[in-house]
Amino acid sequence: VREEPVSQALSRRTLLAKVIQGLGVTLALSQVIPRAQAEEGDVSRSEADRLIVLVARPLDAETPVQEFASYLTPNSRFFVRSHFGPPPAELLSELNWRLRVGGLVDRPLTFSLKELKQFQEVTLTAVVQCSGNGRASHRPKTPGVQWDRGAVGNARWTGIRLRDVLTKAGLQTTSRHVQFQGADRPVAVTVPLFVRSIPVEKALHPDTILAYQMNGRPLPLLHGAPVRVITPGWMADSCIKWLTDITVSRDEAQGYYMQTAYRYPTRPVMPGEAIAASDLKPVEAMIVKSLIAQPQDGASLVPGPVTVQGVAWTGEGKVVKVELSVDAGRTWEPARFIGEDQPYAWRQWQYIWQATGSGPRTILCRATDAQGDTQPESSSWNPSGFLWNGWDRISVTVKA
Amino acid sequence: MRIVRYAIVSSVILGLIGWAVMSVAQEEDLLATSAALAPRAEGLILARCSVCHSPDLIYQQRLPKDRWDATVKKMMQWGAEITNDEANLLIRYLSARYHPGARESVPPLDRDLGKVEPLRQEPPAEDLLTGVASRGEASYANNCQACHGTDATGGHGPKLAKNPILKHEDLFWDTVLHGRGPMPAWGSVLSHQDIADIYAWLSTR
Repeated sequence: VREEPVSQALSRRTLLAKVIQGLGVTLALSQVIPRAQAEEGDVSRSEADRLIVLVARPLDAETPVQEFASYLTPNSRFFVRSHFGPPPAELLSELNWRLRVGGLVDRPLTFSLKELKQFQEVTLTAVVQCSGNGRASHRPKTPGVQWDRGAVGNARWTGIRLRDVLTKAGLQTTSRHVQFQGADRPVAVTVPLFVRSIPVEKALHPDTILAYQMNGRPLPLLHGAPVRVITPGWMADSCIKWLTDITVSRDEAQGYYMQTAYRYPTRPVMPGEAIAASDLKPVEAMIVKSLIAQPQDGASLVPGPVTVQGVAWTGEGKVVKVELSVDAGRTWEPARFIGEDQPYAWRQWQYIWQATGSGPRTILCRATDAQGDTQPESSSWNPSGFLWNGWDRISVTVKA
Repeated sequence: MRIVRYAIVSSVILGLIGWAVMSVAQEEDLLATSAALAPRAEGLILARCSVCHSPDLIYQQRLPKDRWDATVKKMMQWGAEITNDEANLLIRYLSARYHPGARESVPPLDRDLGKVEPLRQEPPAEDLLTGVASRGEASYANNCQACHGTDATGGHGPKLAKNPILKHEDLFWDTVLHGRGPMPAWGSVLSHQDIADIYAWLSTR
């Protein structure tokens, strides 16, 4: 028989198309994350597959929440947010990379990585979270990467205090803001640079560091090699990657990424409403939030005890309570904290739920911090979809 | 005071309902609009928007027209090489296809590249054209640099300076015109003269 049955030929063609499609995606991905894989050895191809890619270029990828069953988020599974993507690795090599400190200082300074490491080394564990984490939950939808739940992670950061560097340079009395710039550059020169600043008080805080290690390994390229800023308790938009320039100034950084983007209304606003610039302030501290890591959304469970576990964190304070509800928020039961309790890190929690009967169930969770702030059912809408901290929720099915 | 608050709350709720509920006729109208505009709009997205970011960033948005308008205009300010007419076409297309009421996964477009309307049309040249390196530098910067790096030293895509493919001009043309692996086909974007110019410039690197 020479002629193939039509259906078989078709299905072969479909299969071939799928294979080619898959190949295209794999190729595209391996092109997107090449240097980190090849030179840092931190993101292997199979591990990168465990991130959920939202934008292939420049790479924006989030962590599947089941990874948050572990206290520390592994480097290879840590979410990646790129404005322009990593700079060429040559620029960041020991030979070429320099950190310049200038502006309102008595002594402008330049450091190699080796010189920077002469300052006292500190290590701290801190949550790093994208301001847009959870943006996909805002209604109406807001523009930007549609992050779901995983643009956050908890890592151990090792580096030196920014305060020590600034003290060595000598802050002048008019210093109010410390501006950061990284080595990453946009494709077109007409695109504004990613320049951000933090108030001098936060810059001089002993826990604000210039990190060169992440979870005990040299900072991977995708996470800002060789040095990034870590502002514990604050959103990741001040944690500048591939840091090359620190400029002390009297004013906030100018330009799009400080004056327009990453700003949040100081009063409740309606969709479509015009907001005066004076009613917008930079996104800074994180707010209280929690996630359910296990069981996974959509899981099928058998009746009986089910271990529900997850993480909770807040800004510069402390999480004091995590509660769960299986009746749409009418009643709440406290979860039990487990594991380590460190400032700026998240807390792990656990709750044993007695699953009974059969059918779909929704598990809700909410945290409260020491300031008394509790996660709301839904966060206030804001034009850029920042700071989502509505109750976390998963749907499961109980099957007898 | 209370009445005012109720009035505000109820008008917001009504507004949200109006925003979320869309009649079947409206939805069909939007589908027809986006289908008709798709060939040109998708060509622009591939050629102009993808220089800086992959199109997936666009496809995950669900925005009303005024926010699409603001976004496209911001991109023009930031250097997206589109004319005002092209911007208007994009805004019309994006707000018809990726509007707030659109489903999470919108129906797929016919992605056959052959159906993407060429941005420039000209008969294929009989012989390979003579390129002008100085012009090629500008065309390279506008179209290739995003992936292949400044001075063709590589980036997300391979380094092109001294790349062996430059020794095989026919293979170079084939790759640019029809794409290869993750690289899209540029046949509908670059003119033959552009390609010849880029080739000439790359040969000097």
